[in-house]
Amino acid sequence: MRKKIIPYLLVSPYIVHFIIFVAFPVGFSIYLTFNNWNIISPMEFTGLNNYKRLFQDAVFWKSIFNTLIFLAIHIPLQIIVALFLAELLNQKINFRGFFRAAFFLPVIVSGVVVTILWQQLYGFDTGLINRLLVKIGFEKIGWLTNPNWAMPSIAVMATWKNVGLYIVLFLVGLQTVPPQYYEAAELEGATHMQKFLKITLPMINPTIFMVVVLSTVGGFSLFIEPYVMTGGGPLNSTISAVLYIYKQGFFYYHMGYAATLGLFFAMLILTVVMIQKKFVEKDK
Amino acid sequence: MRTSNFLLLIAIIIIVLSCSSNSHSRRSKIIYWSSNNIEEIEFARYIVDSWNKNNPGDKVTFQPVPEGQSSEEVILAAVVGKTTPDIYSNMWEGDVEAYAEAGTLVALDTLSGFTDFLRERCDSSVIEEVTSLDGHIYQIPWKINPVMLLYNANIVKELGFNTAPRTYSEFFEAAKKFQKDTDGDGYVDRWFGYAEVIVTWWQRFFDFYPLYLAASNGAPLVKSNKAAFNNDAALKVFGFLRELYQKKYFAKERLSARQDVFLDGIIATRFTGSWEISHAEKFKPAGFEYNFSPMPVPDSHKGPVYTYGDPKNIVIFKTCPDPNLAWKFLKFALNEENDLKFLEITNQLPRRKDLNTNPKYASYFKKNPKMEIFAKQAKYVKGTDQSPVLKEVFDIISQEYEACVIYGKKTPQEALNDAEKAVNLLFLK
Repeated sequence: MRKKIIPYLLVSPYIVHFIIFVAFPVGFSIYLTFNNWNIISPMEFTGLNNYKRLFQDAVFWKSIFNTLIFLAIHIPLQIIVALFLAELLNQKINFRGFFRAAFFLPVIVSGVVVTILWQQLYGFDTGLINRLLVKIGFEKIGWLTNPNWAMPSIAVMATWKNVGLYIVLFLVGLQTVPPQYYEAAELEGATHMQKFLKITLPMINPTIFMVVVLSTVGGFSLFIEPYVMTGGGPLNSTISAVLYIYKQGFFYYHMGYAATLGLFFAMLILTVVMIQKKFVEKDK
Repeated sequence: MRTSNFLLLIAIIIIVLSCSSNSHSRRSKIIYWSSNNIEEIEFARYIVDSWNKNNPGDKVTFQPVPEGQSSEEVILAAVVGKTTPDIYSNMWEGDVEAYAEAGTLVALDTLSGFTDFLRERCDSSVIEEVTSLDGHIYQIPWKINPVMLLYNANIVKELGFNTAPRTYSEFFEAAKKFQKDTDGDGYVDRWFGYAEVIVTWWQRFFDFYPLYLAASNGAPLVKSNKAAFNNDAALKVFGFLRELYQKKYFAKERLSARQDVFLDGIIATRFTGSWEISHAEKFKPAGFEYNFSPMPVPDSHKGPVYTYGDPKNIVIFKTCPDPNLAWKFLKFALNEENDLKFLEITNQLPRRKDLNTNPKYASYFKKNPKMEIFAKQAKYVKGTDQSPVLKEVFDIISQEYEACVIYGKKTPQEALNDAEKAVNLLFLK
């Protein structure tokens, strides 16, 4: 009897934690999707109304589209910049340790601090970037006030913030490539570009894939940047799905609807991750 | 079980129970939460000390509303967690209806003497404003901070005006004269005014809403669960603001992160409240002159100029063990003398109809002439309409405001039509 109970006792902290912090919130969220609830009044059962509303909610679909636009800019940019810098930092250059640390620094700085800093850089009249543009003869750009530029501007900022982490991942990947391959290629007269395309890229493919997965999951949770910099504007051009769900939940206390949006969005992320997983398995 | 273990268990149970026992039984009779700004804390402390000195058997304790992202969130969390204070004195008028609907507030008109007190303190329009949709009154009108036009008096004089621009035409004329590209780079960098361009719903309290109240003589935004703002006044306000941005008289860039652009002379006007006075007095450069005037109105406007009063009111939560005692305390806190003390300590206006006529307050206004401008405006302020979905209404207006006024994507009429449609849908749900 004692032998039977002990294993359960040993796993019980995890099970209790799982029930309180995972199973119950998920179950409660699903239950909420069938109700209207503003926290202070009793819940009102509304059946599938929240789901109907979701499919008719133009702003939610715009927020999904915005998130995809963000991912489409952010992921390739992240990979190109991180790989380029990792390649440079993998060479024997002076102050290599300093540069590696410097590129990693934004990763550990608070997201809010970074966004406020970039808000200043992107300022239309007084921002450093526009001042430089005017100096070299270009027109000023409304980085955060022009609906066409706002999301790309946020994507560039997010890349700057996170690139250090991916540089580290790529550096690890680059250091696993056996040097003999390069030596052999050099003997065959391969150029730098050929070595990069034919040896480096195929060899670090798993790392690239990991970066894509991490960037995708991170990108889907885009929140701080638009929340602080633009509030989702101009004209909803930077409202991300997570920001919209947050607004529904904690600005307007539409808890049932926010739970519905959250559930739908979680399913969307799950689908994307499953597709990515399929690719990984195929690759193996 | 061994005796020592049993005793240990009992001790733990006693400690846990004593921690979780209802603190009402051991504490003062009434718990009062004030706002958490320094001046209001000082006032709350003064009031509570005065009360407790004369009523040792009915002790009131106060604490500032606990820190949070906003006091509204803290109050909501307290309501949900059933840890509300008995009295809260900084309730935004627009939030009251939702709490009343949820049954968390005491209907004050059921308390003895409340209606007489309210009639003595406020005029009928204020009483109507604070009456909930169910006919009860759940809030005591406490204080206001009317939104007015702050202007740089030196600049306005240089532009050839004796007073601040009063009408839209005068405003445009002054704006045209003042607007400038000072560094010659082809971009305007000196604007006549500035209002926050972000879409956050409450930002409209400082541009669209006070201008709408001014243009419409205090008309509601929603009435009988329907949008009531698609009218000539709103059309004129949207048109006015749109032109200000189109002609670059107002900055489209966010200037709020910079040093104070008003005191720096980068802008000449701002729609704001009396809280600017202490800031300006502290930081204004030598020779800087400023003043306040009513919100600009359409050229054809007749009658007094209304504005948004940003009212904050007092409520008693249903968790209060003795609402009659709470009400007795509040009657004391809101008497003539204590309203004067409130004025002196916080430089905010108590919402009472005799503010301009009661000799008790005359010496304060003599000493603070700029506050007298706000006191005169106080007769013509409105709060918000009673609606449980007011934030959504403001959000919808704000979205249309952005599309029409800031980015010119819609005409004022299209924006108002779309806003009206969306608000009416909100009430259908």
